[in-house]
Amino acid sequence: MIKNTFFRFFSVVTLVLAATTARAQWPYEVPFVPSPQVVVDEMLRLANVTKDDFVMDLGSGDGRILITAARKFGARGIGVDLDENLIAQSDENARTANVADRVQFLRQDLFKTDFSKASVITMYLLPGVNMRLRPSLLALKAGTRIVAHDFDLGDWQPDVKVTIRKNVMLWIVPAKMQGRWRLQLPLPAGAQTWDMDIRQKHQEIDGVVRVAGRPPAGLWQASLRGDRVSFVLVDNTDRESEANMYFAGVVRGDVMEGEFRRGVGNAETRHQWRATWVGAAP
Amino acid sequence: MRASYFATAVWLGLLCVQASAATLDVPTPYIPSTRMNVDEMLRVGGVTPADIVYDLGSGDGRVVIAAAKDYGARGVGIELDPALVKLSNENARAAGVADRVLFRVGDVLTADIKDATVVTMYLLTSLVARLENRLLNELKPGTRIVAHDYGFEKWKPDREVKISKTYYLYVVPARVAGQWRMEGPQPPLTRGREFVLSIEQQYQHIRGGVTGGGGFLPAFEARLSGERIYFVLAENDVSYRFEGEVRGDVMEGVVRSGYGPKLSEQHWRAQRVKPAP
Repeated sequence: MIKNTFFRFFSVVTLVLAATTARAQWPYEVPFVPSPQVVVDEMLRLANVTKDDFVMDLGSGDGRILITAARKFGARGIGVDLDENLIAQSDENARTANVADRVQFLRQDLFKTDFSKASVITMYLLPGVNMRLRPSLLALKAGTRIVAHDFDLGDWQPDVKVTIRKNVMLWIVPAKMQGRWRLQLPLPAGAQTWDMDIRQKHQEIDGVVRVAGRPPAGLWQASLRGDRVSFVLVDNTDRESEANMYFAGVVRGDVMEGEFRRGVGNAETRHQWRATWVGAAP
Repeated sequence: MRASYFATAVWLGLLCVQASAATLDVPTPYIPSTRMNVDEMLRVGGVTPADIVYDLGSGDGRVVIAAAKDYGARGVGIELDPALVKLSNENARAAGVADRVLFRVGDVLTADIKDATVVTMYLLTSLVARLENRLLNELKPGTRIVAHDYGFEKWKPDREVKISKTYYLYVVPARVAGQWRMEGPQPPLTRGREFVLSIEQQYQHIRGGVTGGGGFLPAFEARLSGERIYFVLAENDVSYRFEGEVRGDVMEGVVRSGYGPKLSEQHWRAQRVKPAP
């Protein structure tokens, strides 16, 4: 107990030092500061962790995040930490919590860890380390959830931010959408092919629709969450029956498809849509 | 004030469309018909057959008629110009919805609108500003207000939708400011303690916390949408997620703690003991 208290005190001091000299100490000195249990719970709740998830905890400390994921949410997973003593402690904690069969702790360098298998990534590191990991995180399968508290991912804004004692943030790895997409549309005035030029910065997307012989039109209310995309286009091909078209779909590589609703209320009709990626926007 | 709000609004809308076509960097491909603006207002308002839609400055009646025809709602239009009211009634008959709608000659600043569950408006900024407090104070909590192009000055929208134009959705917030004595959840949170929830409120934005047992627990993630309230209390290693409905001086609902298979749900209730200062 004395040792533990001393250790915590020591960790806080290290954190303060590390925060000011993070560059010099990186990457091997990410201090262990335990996350409060309500914050851990909130991280896992925000990521909507279930028994079907595989959680990877980067900088797993005493293992509490992963053990909570297994014990309260039924998930499986791997924790990665550099500190041998913390790994041993985590193993022991996992046995005590009766989840040793579902979690595993590895003494390993974060930057040499393959986390492509994870459906959820939890982390509590330092800003410099987060930023260094960011390219690998963005390259993960679209829809992978990443949760952290206190430290952010630079200009990659969280999809959800919740404050319960601490700031808890959720990022959902966005599908790649930058470029030109060719959209096939079964419109009342006849089938049409429209080009959508989409600009993307992480999960923020916007764009322009190009139709032969007409000025470019807006892509409205565009939103991307993981591989789920939605946007609104205006169908004014026939002035007598203009209507908004509300698109929802899934992006899979260079194809996206789904359903769109044209019009509102009793006048609403539903149709299938599909778009293929045709290259970078000129 | 002889000119109708409707005519003014249309005129202003045209002016605005011309101005924006010249200044926006993404060119607006065409000038949207009012028909699509009507559609979008009703969609943003989430109109259902159970609703009573009031259109302030109802012009030729198109919003109210569309609410009845396309959504099966009932509606009332308020319009200053008797000729437009007459035209609205003719249009409603022609659309076959005369039994579900009502058009009144009246001033939107004084007309009785308490029955509304949805209010739509497309009015001049100055008029919208004069309606702000009136709508906030006179409409029932939970009533949705949809404004088109011109929103309120101080009251921030609950939602903003941009499809060629901008639509603002406001949900009239319940009045929750003051002190509330809480009952439940039963142990461990309130065990043997007098629990008082204090709430400060500005429009739909709320904050506060609970005092009890000699401590203060801040309410995290406190939110209010119409009559629905949400906040989280965290004590020791447990967080309690409160969800409830406000009815006058009582609010009640379900509080959840734990997760997944260990989720526990309990009923909670609070009674206002002191109104806002």
